[in-house]
Amino acid sequence: MEIAVLGSPAFTLGFQLAGISHIYNPEGDEAIQSELKVLLNSKDVGIVVVDSEVLASLPDRLREQMSASVSPTILGIGTEEDNTLRETIRKAIGVDLWK
Amino acid sequence: MALDIKPTRSELIKLKARIKQTKNGYKLLKMKRDGLFHEFRSLLAEMIEAKKDLTATYRLAKTRIDLANAIEGGLAVRATAIANSAHPEVEVQRRNIMGVVVPNIQGSGLKSSFDSRGVGFIGSSPYIDEASDSFGNLIEKIVTAAEMEATLKRLLEEIEATKRRVNALEFKVIPELEEAQGFIKLRLEEMEREETFRLKRFKNK
Repeated sequence: MEIAVLGSPAFTLGFQLAGISHIYNPEGDEAIQSELKVLLNSKDVGIVVVDSEVLASLPDRLREQMSASVSPTILGIGTEEDNTLRETIRKAIGVDLWK
Repeated sequence: MALDIKPTRSELIKLKARIKQTKNGYKLLKMKRDGLFHEFRSLLAEMIEAKKDLTATYRLAKTRIDLANAIEGGLAVRATAIANSAHPEVEVQRRNIMGVVVPNIQGSGLKSSFDSRGVGFIGSSPYIDEASDSFGNLIEKIVTAAEMEATLKRLLEEIEATKRRVNALEFKVIPELEEAQGFIKLRLEEMEREETFRLKRFKNK
């Protein structure tokens, strides 16, 4: 299965350097959301790497869908720590177990 | 359900057996829930470490590529990126944790070796190479983190479902069964008392 990367060209360049070919640079919220929806339903993609800033700008429902998705697994990368998983755990178990 | 119980002795016997069975199932489910939770906790600890590591690795990779861009120019970096023939892929297999199917992700071709990068010693730059290296590193860490995250999500789903079943048994099913049992006992006692009373009247007549 493939690894896909979605984000700004500056973000995706590093991954291209390491050899990833499934690069997506959609411009504008609409394009980003529709591209993500396509990737969510794709069978060949195992992991989608998304810039955490892009993740934060998404509507809640889409973010929840991405949190829940296991194939492909959506991973947010950023210079700040990503908290969506922490929220999911807190909602499911009722206690904030992170840290 | 409690409304159409026949207050007979045979129903009582059946009910008793059912209560026993349900309580057994309840105990097992509780054990499953606790076991899953235990697995989850230990995996979570690993995951927190992995995420910290990931963020640190990304920061380093970003710094390096910004440096490469600044020194060599964006064009050179992009050209090297296109020339790279390595192709990272992941293979997803299934694993079983306490009855939950979780993914096991193996990456291949994640780190490109020097010769597969498509540039010679002279054509490349140490900055671009370092950036390449750290991104290769980053991708490895991403694959590990993605596997852990997917596993955690699956475990979480199963924990939630099991927790709901345990609660349903504890707060609805078993109390209803016990209530029905109490009801039958009550009615049987009542009927016995009525019988006794009727017999007494008969005797006295």
